Amino acid sequence: MSAGTLPSNVRDPGFPTERENYLTNSKGFLSWFCTLDHKRIGVMYLIGTVTAFLIGGLLALGIRLHLFSPEGWLFTDNWLGSSVDKNTIYNQVFTLHGAIMVFLFIIPSIPAALGNFLVPVMLGAKDVAFPRLNLSSFYLWMFGALFFIGALLSSGLDTGWTFYTPYSTTTDSSVILATLGAFILGFSSIFTGLNFIVTINTMRPPGMTWFKMPLFLWATYATSIIQVLATPVLGITLLLLIAERVMQIGIFDPEFNGDPVTYQHFFWFYSHPAVYIMILPAFGVISELISVHSHKHIFGYRFIAYSSIAIALLGFLVWGHHMFTAGMSSLTTIIFSALTFTVSVPSAIKVFNWLATMYKGSISLTTPMCYALSFIFLFTIGGLTGLFLGTLATDLHLHDTYFVVAHFHYVMVGGTLIAFLGGVFHWWPKMFGRLYNEWGGRLSAAIVFIGFNLTFLPQFVLGSRGMPRRYATYDPEFAYLHQMSTIGALILGIGLLIALVVLIASLVNGKRSPANPWGAATLEFACTSPPPYYNFERAPVVGDPYDFHDIFWDAENERYVTAEPEREIVPQTVPEESPAHAGGQN
Amino acid sequence: MLDHNQLPLADVNKSLWFPEQASSFAEGVDWVYDTILYISLVFFVGIVIALVWFAIKYHKKKGEPAESQTSHHTPLELLWSIGPSFLLVYMFVVGAISYLDMRTPPEGSYEIGVEAYKWGWTMDYGGGTYHPELHLLLDEPTKLSMRSSDVIHSLFIPAFRAKKDIVPGRYNYMWFKPTVASEKVSDEELAKAKKATGTDAWDYDEYQFTPDGYRFFDLYCAEYCGKSHSEMQTVVVVHETQEELDAWIKEKASRPDDVAPEAWGKTLYNQRGCASCHSIDGSKRVGPSFKDLAGSTHALADGSSVTVDPNYIRESILEPKAKVVAGYNPVMPSYKGQLSDDDIDSIIAYLKTLAE
Ligand code: HEM
Ligand SMILES: [Cu+2]
Repeated sequence: MSAGTLPSNVRDPGFPTERENYLTNSKGFLSWFCTLDHKRIGVMYLIGTVTAFLIGGLLALGIRLHLFSPEGWLFTDNWLGSSVDKNTIYNQVFTLHGAIMVFLFIIPSIPAALGNFLVPVMLGAKDVAFPRLNLSSFYLWMFGALFFIGALLSSGLDTGWTFYTPYSTTTDSSVILATLGAFILGFSSIFTGLNFIVTINTMRPPGMTWFKMPLFLWATYATSIIQVLATPVLGITLLLLIAERVMQIGIFDPEFNGDPVTYQHFFWFYSHPAVYIMILPAFGVISELISVHSHKHIFGYRFIAYSSIAIALLGFLVWGHHMFTAGMSSLTTIIFSALTFTVSVPSAIKVFNWLATMYKGSISLTTPMCYALSFIFLFTIGGLTGLFLGTLATDLHLHDTYFVVAHFHYVMVGGTLIAFLGGVFHWWPKMFGRLYNEWGGRLSAAIVFIGFNLTFLPQFVLGSRGMPRRYATYDPEFAYLHQMSTIGALILGIGLLIALVVLIASLVNGKRSPANPWGAATLEFACTSPPPYYNFERAPVVGDPYDFHDIFWDAENERYVTAEPEREIVPQTVPEESPAHAGGQN
Repeated sequence: MLDHNQLPLADVNKSLWFPEQASSFAEGVDWVYDTILYISLVFFVGIVIALVWFAIKYHKKKGEPAESQTSHHTPLELLWSIGPSFLLVYMFVVGAISYLDMRTPPEGSYEIGVEAYKWGWTMDYGGGTYHPELHLLLDEPTKLSMRSSDVIHSLFIPAFRAKKDIVPGRYNYMWFKPTVASEKVSDEELAKAKKATGTDAWDYDEYQFTPDGYRFFDLYCAEYCGKSHSEMQTVVVVHETQEELDAWIKEKASRPDDVAPEAWGKTLYNQRGCASCHSIDGSKRVGPSFKDLAGSTHALADGSSVTVDPNYIRESILEPKAKVVAGYNPVMPSYKGQLSDDDIDSIIAYLKTLAE
């Protein structure tokens, strides 16, 4: 990227017209709900997952307000009446909070919402490989969500999102509805994964070799592999659980000669890799954000790409670390502990690479960059505290305490949610063609950061001091730390609300966004904002996605522009008459 | 009123991060914890300094080019991939070694049986003595052999840094060696508390000592087990001498002569977990209320009915699944072998007082 005088051969796609713009080129309810356009499906997922997040977030505030005082502050006889059991309400609230956040928000948020929108555009393709499968996976998601709501409205769900047996085979609550919901969501997840694998394998344009792919695509690819391989295990486990409940076939329930620990093995064999379904896409987003907003070539591209694949594969070997206290043999336990440490290496590599990317860069502290910096800070805490849990002696003390709650919130909220927000702010102008208020965006990032730390840092102390998790009431000596945490959660909520307001306000009165608002070199910034229905007028020219040499700041028009010929063009990228990658036609 | 013990940082002198170290494992575990903490802090502080410093130092106006476009440096990358791995191996090894110590109980450990149920604990001291509190002997390696009568529970004593799940359908074992004895509070203090409490259930949180006047360590259930999971707590008392422990056990073995059966029945109701499922004020919990129960007639799940006489009460305690009241699930654990005849008679006597 250079400042100063512009070369004469700059290209700027300008603004899309009403007709070519994917948001406005056809109208009406059906044009959205029957659409095969990956971008509209992405937007529908975005709305769906954010709605799920808001519901999950309200439940979280419920949890935190209840824990403001040792004997429980929110769910009390005062308004519930004495016939309702307060602890039962609390248990249902934390179960639904966990289940909604995991199954309806974190797992689909980045892959399904951002991924659907971005994967084809980043590839310079017209659509995903199977547009109809794509639409059906969205409907499956909706369907699964309805089952969850059904579970909530019928008799509630109080098992925790992990559905541990034999509690889940004996409780009265709607375990079957909720597990069917999770089962259906699993299909949605598998379909999305399959679609991306095929899309990335077959629809890369000429010249885009594996190592010319943006890292977000690498991350999506690695995630898709896990989705396709691990999700069926969850599906089978949940079916077995239902069979056990209905027919008592004696797999998990000791009363019929089953073994509850078997359930834990099955469950975590999916759910630990699922943790990487949650965090790998976030790594992909952060790699894009750090490079683009530092205007510098990503450092150690290959190490980052390989480390995504390494995490995806190693992620399958460590599930046992959720069961160190459950009574496995000492040898098994030790092997799982050793394997667990291997996953930390590729994650650490990424953090170092991001820092090295910033070194000697040209950093703009835009909203997405603020979120990316916040991500590195929070994810580092999340990752390092994982070491205490992978180490056997300390895990015995910390397991099932608030230390664990704090750890996975640092990874999943401080990691995935923050990356999701950063990504939304980064691609928002592309998705909707509007710029938002930068100060508002940065303010939201700062308040979210403060609120988040105030919420979850005290929980590490709570945990190491011995406060067990999933407690509706607690000993008074823990009250101060819980109160700090609750105040933090309120601040966090305010920060998230500001982010929402800033984004929605931009749709109403934001300035129109140029094609390339940040000066990025990936292909999605080569088309107009918002993209036309078929994404590109002509197949875009592929180069290094992190080469900023031919991107210029046009001070007069206040936008970044690209000078085409200067970029090193891979020989066979000059498009043919009808490009092979123009898939997705009907 | 909060006393200074409840202020969050008041015991920094002891430790910000941990409860008191009260078993032979505690020091080792805390040491491993601190080691990882310091290693992590070095990395964390380094990363944050780099992060903030780069963000400030390389912050540029729009359009100014970056000073460098270096895209890789293989030796550096290999260094930072392989270097930290040695630290990881170190953490794994020290963690695994202390863990193995915690797994193998020494020969001839003092043994106590533990039964966990929704939502309480019964410790079996042998010879027919059962009590919800866990009483131990100072410096004596103690092995718990634990079973659950319903779902998975987990026995967790933070001060001992010890935790183990209790999985129904199998025995799980754990062991530890307590190293700090429980103090006894003064007789006046105990008498005052007793007077204030009257005959109600003892509030451990309020007084921070047991009804026998001992300070205690907390014992929690750490595996989510349903409605009253958070109330599934008991206490650990460590006695200084064998004689003191034996005296305590003997005292709990049976109803003292000067206690009436009705009062003893009430004590058992509170101590042995009846209260977590059966109310005495008529409200419906997991099981039917005890109010006005004795002498009434119950419809059973199989369609027949039964009069609640002493025989039926005895049967319900020993064989709870034999005659289940309509509208309830067969979830009550059996107390067979855990209550003496006198205990059961006392409970029957107590129930009668609730139906007058
Ligand atoms: C406003 C932000 C949030 C707050 C204040 C919050 C708070 C809490 C609290 C207090 C618990 C209960 C801990 C326990 O008793 O075990 C919990 C559990 C949980 N939260 Fe959050 N949470 C927040 C956001 C999220 C998000 C965004 C996710 C998405 C991944 C999430 C995932 C979970 C999970 C998986 C559990 C575990 C549920 C279980 O115990 O099985 N939380 N959260
Ligand atoms: Cu329990």
